[in-house]
Amino acid sequence: MTMRLLDVFRGKFVDPTYPGVHAGGDVITTRLDAVVKWGRKSSLWPMPFGTACCAIEFMAMSASHYDVARFGAEVLRFSPRQADLLFVAGTIPDKLAPVLKTIYDQMPEPKWVVAMGVCACTGGFYRSYHVMQGIDEIVPVDVYVPGCPPAPEALLAAVMKIQERIKEGVRQSEPQGAHRLGASGDAVFDRRARRAAWAADDDARAKQGLAPRGVIAFGNPASGVQAPDGDRD
Amino acid sequence: MPFPDSALSDSQRSDRPPSSIAGIMHANLPGGVVMIREFRGDLSITVKRETWAAAAVLLRDHLDCDFKLFLDLCAVDRQGRVDRSERFEIVLHLYSVSTKRHIRVTTPLPESDPRLDTLTKVFKGANWFEREAYDLFGIVFRGHPNLKRILTHESFVGHPMRKDYPTARRHAPGKCAERVLDVPQDSQGMVVNLGPSHPSMHGTFRVQLLLDGETIVDAAPDLGYMHRNFEKMAEARTYWQIIPYTDRLNYCSPFMNGHGWALAVEKLLGIKAPPRAEAVRVVLSELSRVMDHIVCIGANVVDLGAITPFFVTFRAREAIYDVLEACCGARLTVSYVRIGGLAQDVPEDFDALCRKAISAAREVIDQADRLLTRNVIFVRRMREVGVLSADDALSYGWTGPCLRGSGVAYDVRKNHPYSGYEQYDFDVPTGAVGDSFDRYLVRMEEMRQSLRIVEQALASLPGGPVIVDDKRVALPPKSAVFENIEALMNHFKLVFEGILPPAGEIYGYTEAANGELGYFVVSDGRKCPWRVKVRPPCFNLYQAYPRLIKGGMIADAIAIIGGLNVIAGELDR
Repeated sequence: MTMRLLDVFRGKFVDPTYPGVHAGGDVITTRLDAVVKWGRKSSLWPMPFGTACCAIEFMAMSASHYDVARFGAEVLRFSPRQADLLFVAGTIPDKLAPVLKTIYDQMPEPKWVVAMGVCACTGGFYRSYHVMQGIDEIVPVDVYVPGCPPAPEALLAAVMKIQERIKEGVRQSEPQGAHRLGASGDAVFDRRARRAAWAADDDARAKQGLAPRGVIAFGNPASGVQAPDGDRD
Repeated sequence: MPFPDSALSDSQRSDRPPSSIAGIMHANLPGGVVMIREFRGDLSITVKRETWAAAAVLLRDHLDCDFKLFLDLCAVDRQGRVDRSERFEIVLHLYSVSTKRHIRVTTPLPESDPRLDTLTKVFKGANWFEREAYDLFGIVFRGHPNLKRILTHESFVGHPMRKDYPTARRHAPGKCAERVLDVPQDSQGMVVNLGPSHPSMHGTFRVQLLLDGETIVDAAPDLGYMHRNFEKMAEARTYWQIIPYTDRLNYCSPFMNGHGWALAVEKLLGIKAPPRAEAVRVVLSELSRVMDHIVCIGANVVDLGAITPFFVTFRAREAIYDVLEACCGARLTVSYVRIGGLAQDVPEDFDALCRKAISAAREVIDQADRLLTRNVIFVRRMREVGVLSADDALSYGWTGPCLRGSGVAYDVRKNHPYSGYEQYDFDVPTGAVGDSFDRYLVRMEEMRQSLRIVEQALASLPGGPVIVDDKRVALPPKSAVFENIEALMNHFKLVFEGILPPAGEIYGYTEAANGELGYFVVSDGRKCPWRVKVRPPCFNLYQAYPRLIKGGMIADAIAIIGGLNVIAGELDR
């Protein structure tokens, strides 16, 4: 059977269970957007933003054994300009956060995001001073894949979930966890309370002329330490 | 009942008595040595801060000392401890390849004046370690050429590893630092960022290059993009709870990190795991080494533009994953090791699974060998790029396959056998030139040697328990917990109180896939360690990277970084 472009519109490759596709005899009518969605879902171009352990399992998913090509998502692009699916695989520390945001912004619309692993979902067991507590603080996330790291099967399931969302035409557009970043918004867990306590502590120390805890007080006459700049050989 | 004070294993001791080094120190630095002590076979010398640099030079250059391999430099915050008069302490670890000795040099620093002379002129590798101590503790190194933050981001306030810094306190990140490199005013070159989002930089490395055409004039790496605070969190975890964190240091070969951690804590406790546990640890560690080298070589050739070897080599990884999954249920981050042994015994078909993995690994190694070793494109890309001499490699603190590629046959498994490596027959391959191709060849040969070790260990796998029978360390079996009150109480006490090691400091070290993985553990006798410092082999390897790529082309920089196998989780911790 030779494949011709018109066959697509005749329905030979269109799933008749699709919304907007009507099968009747030899003729199948469809809407253009249904065909476009079908095309998008079947040829996802993922960009792996692999940073840590999850990237290794991502490699396992894209390698020969699990073979993501079966789902039409094997064309890995390392440039965000050529990708429509962002796989954030691994911990995102605060230093990397602006990089992730830039990459997300550089991807052309429409775009989808998978947060792979608990670090990308919530920060995982790295609840500490330099780790973003979930990438949804800065980018919208369509599918969260828990696991540390998730098994490749779970990732394949995530790809299928994304395909479902494309088919249904739904897409997350706002970062769900943005309110966690700043002081505004409702209190989430006890993070705000902690921040408030630290801020109060800083203020109390500032009134006594002390630097915040953990801060070296360069130039403070009480400590007798000079700034490193004036101390070079 | 306290743990014994004697050292764990005789093999980790050297024949030379420590008194000779003490004598040399006293003779050459009159009045400069404060204290010399030995704990669990670790020699530790405390010097006055004025003699810090002089002591380092003496230890490096004196013929009877010859401590040329720079291992590690870190700070310890003693706030709240009664046993120290000063708040900070700087700790330096050195190794002598010729006399096979480790040494620790420390110096106390007061809180009011945390300043110390730099060692950057003594050891090339000290540069980044001192920057790290400045970043995390606020220690100022006098004469350091570039004392800036290294791991935390630009908007960070304070020094997070200090004891009074709250663990979870974040600072909103600003933008990425625009300029990392110092570019001369009159430079006509172009500044280019290689990474962090560059396919060969694996998402987390960033190197700023100054280019003249395609030639690299100057380069400065920016790291910390994967700084997730293992060391700070380890201070609030019990010795068990740290095991999962160690899995995520070098995530290409997670089992080896846990193995190293268990050995370090066992050294601190003065106990030894049963022979069966040690043999299984060796089997899984060596399979992990194969797995790690496979990723290194596979990713390296992907960066060079060849995808086939990647697909070929990953088949062996899947076979090794099957072994790990059968043992503990996890593929990658296994958490299989326990202090004093293993979590559970290996499955019945362990031997068959391992043999399947061995034959799969043999097959893909041979296949990759045929694809790459005589491939003209590959050889021309790899040969005579990234050359580092043996002396420089030692000064930078290189260990593992990269150091052996430069011709120094230092392997912890041979020099200080642990876990019964002395029973197995294997060779330590070394390179002749010290270029990327040598490092590749060393890795290929090491994989074959590892498979040899696995076969020997499987052939002589001893029976018996897999965890030490010591109620202060190991949980009693579940059946006993359900049936008798004593086991139930032991279980309860161990879970709530944790393992309580004696107060002291040890440096435990193993040969991980990338080199000497060391854990410097400071214990104050409580259930959580006071300070854990990982000696990450990658940190030293990556530090030499600008030196390796200067004067070469951009394409060479890509070929070199793949061969170094820098792993972000271990580099930034």
